[in-house]
Amino acid sequence: MRDITKVRNIGISAHIDSGKTTLTERILFYTQRIHAIHEVRGKDGVGAKMDSMELERERGITICSAATYCDWQDHAINIIDTPGHVDFTIEVERALRVLDGAVLILCSVGGVQSQSITVNRQMTRYRVPRVAFINKCDRTGANPDRVIKQLRDKLGLNAVPIQIPMGLEVDMQGLIDLVRMKAIYFDGENGDKIREEEIPAQYQEECDLKREEMLDAVSMFSDELMEAVLEGTPTEEMIMAAIRKGTLALELTPVMMGTAYKNKGVQLLLDAVISYLPCPTDVDNFALDLDHDEAEVKVSNISSDPLLALAFKLEDGRYGQLTYVRTYQGTLKKGDSIVNVRTGKKAKVGRLVRMHSDDMEEIDEAGSGDIVALFGIDCASGDTFTSGTDYNFSMTSMHVPAPVISLSITPVDNKAQDNMSKALNRFTKEDPTFKTFVDPETMETIISGMGELHLDVYVERMKREYKAEVTVGAPQVAYRETITQRAEFNYTHKKQTGGSGQFGRVAGYIEPIEEGEYEFVDKIVGGSVPREYIPSCDKGFQKCLDKGALIGAHVTGVRCAINDGASHAVDSSDIAFQLAAMGGFKEAYAKAKPMIMEPIMKVAAEGPSEFQGSIMGSLNQRRGIIIGTNEEDAYTVIEAEVPLSEMFGYSTDLRSLTQGKAEFTMEFATYRQVPKSVAEELIAKAQKNKK
Amino acid sequence: MQKQELIEKNPIRHLKGESDAKESSRMGLVMARAGMGKTALLVQIAMDSLLNDKQVVHVSVGQSLDKTKLWYDDLFQDISKACKLEKAGEIHEAIKRNRMIITFNESSFSRAKLEERLHDLVQQHVITPSCMVVDGFDFAKTDRSVLEEMRELATKMNLQIWFSAVCSEGIDNQHTNEVPAPCNGVGDLFNTVVLLQSVAKSECLDLKILKGSAAVSKCGKLLKLDPQTFMIREDCK
Repeated sequence: MRDITKVRNIGISAHIDSGKTTLTERILFYTQRIHAIHEVRGKDGVGAKMDSMELERERGITICSAATYCDWQDHAINIIDTPGHVDFTIEVERALRVLDGAVLILCSVGGVQSQSITVNRQMTRYRVPRVAFINKCDRTGANPDRVIKQLRDKLGLNAVPIQIPMGLEVDMQGLIDLVRMKAIYFDGENGDKIREEEIPAQYQEECDLKREEMLDAVSMFSDELMEAVLEGTPTEEMIMAAIRKGTLALELTPVMMGTAYKNKGVQLLLDAVISYLPCPTDVDNFALDLDHDEAEVKVSNISSDPLLALAFKLEDGRYGQLTYVRTYQGTLKKGDSIVNVRTGKKAKVGRLVRMHSDDMEEIDEAGSGDIVALFGIDCASGDTFTSGTDYNFSMTSMHVPAPVISLSITPVDNKAQDNMSKALNRFTKEDPTFKTFVDPETMETIISGMGELHLDVYVERMKREYKAEVTVGAPQVAYRETITQRAEFNYTHKKQTGGSGQFGRVAGYIEPIEEGEYEFVDKIVGGSVPREYIPSCDKGFQKCLDKGALIGAHVTGVRCAINDGASHAVDSSDIAFQLAAMGGFKEAYAKAKPMIMEPIMKVAAEGPSEFQGSIMGSLNQRRGIIIGTNEEDAYTVIEAEVPLSEMFGYSTDLRSLTQGKAEFTMEFATYRQVPKSVAEELIAKAQKNKK
Repeated sequence: MQKQELIEKNPIRHLKGESDAKESSRMGLVMARAGMGKTALLVQIAMDSLLNDKQVVHVSVGQSLDKTKLWYDDLFQDISKACKLEKAGEIHEAIKRNRMIITFNESSFSRAKLEERLHDLVQQHVITPSCMVVDGFDFAKTDRSVLEEMRELATKMNLQIWFSAVCSEGIDNQHTNEVPAPCNGVGDLFNTVVLLQSVAKSECLDLKILKGSAAVSKCGKLLKLDPQTFMIREDCK
């Protein structure tokens, strides 16, 4: 078994076009996973994005695969793909669960961009230690100092450079390592020959100054180092230990620089990943105890303990479903049986493989903290596996937010029809917030999810990955209905003319509840409704919840209670009491002051300060409540709560309003009552549709 | 408890400005040592306007949006729990609608920028504030002229403005009614200046009125506040 302290599970996160693909490519090259460097950027320097996709396609899944494994200096590094879209909270959460540390790539020209801000916020929330790499130092206008300042101001990180560049833009020759005080050059065609020299005289002064600054910041984390600095004898080991300590505590972010494209600095970054980022035992991971209301339990990280593993990504391979799992404690062995906590089903570990960039290696077991792939296990992503049923822990929360928006999709031809169902089957397994069903009235396939963009991406993926062309209907917001006061009912269902009769009477009340969707209370005394028909009443009520009387939306937050009724010796039946309950519900519903609720999104729009007024105006027009603004230098973030129904097409509006300089993210916040005027409109529309 | 009672127990109701300046455009200052609850008191002052369905801008220098929002949520929760407020959910929604938080980091804050933002807000019909609270304003680094301009702004926009300022340790022993440093040079620009103090062995916080007077004369120059809700406490000796 491998030494767990020599494993690094890291993610690489970057704003679009700051060089993530190139850097990953270089890492794989230097770790000898691939044997030639292919350029992302074509000779003319345009169409970089297209190239990268071609490249990925040519190589199969290597660069964008869920987890790529490589070796560097006797350590195993698993590079995990971090999703680019932060809107999909569940996906992000899952990826961040699996990472122990991350490399934040920034463009030396572009600096900290909005995407970096959002990703950084998520990482802070999940306590992911990170190192920063300022890429593209060869570009015209490169300014690492400015980027470091932004890291401090915009991201609030305690960014401390541990390198300085020798020259910038086209003159970039190499880097100076401030820990070891050496100048480092990258020779050879592919920069793979590292040459260490003394620091050139013209940089000496700057180096001394920067090193002092670095030591000041770093010695905060080690008393030993602090003393040594005062005595003037800090050693490399001491400094590195202190940097590591600060990084793991999330109180320090070491900053490195270089240019992946020109093959400079990548090896040093790999060194830093090993020296400063945590191994699986350095981080505390928590499981949720399902027997105790999802209380957090710290996982042990010990390979001999019972197994706890998380399936975080599924992939369709040549040999069926490939499931990427990370073990948190215990050992995953070939031939063992494991239990899926969500479904309770047992499965046997068949093939166990470690993913390399272009092939896979069969292994017999994987210890705690490792990332491996399983073949032939049927599960959804986010599922937790344990070794036995006595252990009811889950790595991810079982609470999945209900979808807030839906679309109808229609395949263009028969072939697309087949592909579409394949794709939908896969997507629902991958993403618990993505749901699909067939509307029984219109016979259309409906997909629903957490936002417009969320669904857009899946429609696009259907086209690209499954060749399923579909036409998309207008998005529909998932409204809900609820009641605001208690109301009584007493309803008799009677049909006793001809044939076998039906009879059932139920009385009771409905009332709003704060939490939960539906409750059924049986307060019948003396058997006025026979026992066997009480579940029928429950069923009848539940049928009513699907379509509320106002606009046909789902009804939530209702407690239905029955306290009286009557039956007939011959004519009472299951269906009679169901119908009676439905009648009773309808009767009471109208009296219980029902209202319509709509999903409210938390929107964060960010852009240059001069557009602040107009952005706020645009959110205000959309019935948004503006919570506040945050102004940093020339940049402003505006936070607001806006109804989802008003957010359609906002990205286009925002762009035209701000010359394309602002962007926004949104996530589901809550359900809230719709204003009267809007409610009336909705009701009128629903009635028109009925006719 | 009804909303009306909350309003009546708000300390700002008990503070009268010096001279005959209009209440609607007065400038106020809350001073205290670090950690006494200046922000909470500012939030309580803002609450007064909010509960009266007036609109408030909360300016926070150096604190994040989320944190500032939390101040309101926490204080409101404390109040509604302590006072068993009826219809708390509804009132909270209304407060949210009438409140707007603007946060700056220290380096990007300036009076000119703030004024520009305020005009933006009014122009875009986002909010027309009748009260503004400014938290984290650095008096030590500000010229008198900036505050004079703020005063003009208050009059021009018919806006009452409340600031908070940190004063140094040892202020609790001061018995005079002078405005302590760092605001000693600008005290005359404010209609009301209060000092928040904790008194040993007392359950209440003392709100000492350094400038202006209490609306009810029997209180003299001292108001007693509940340390959790920052509302007036009458039972405290």
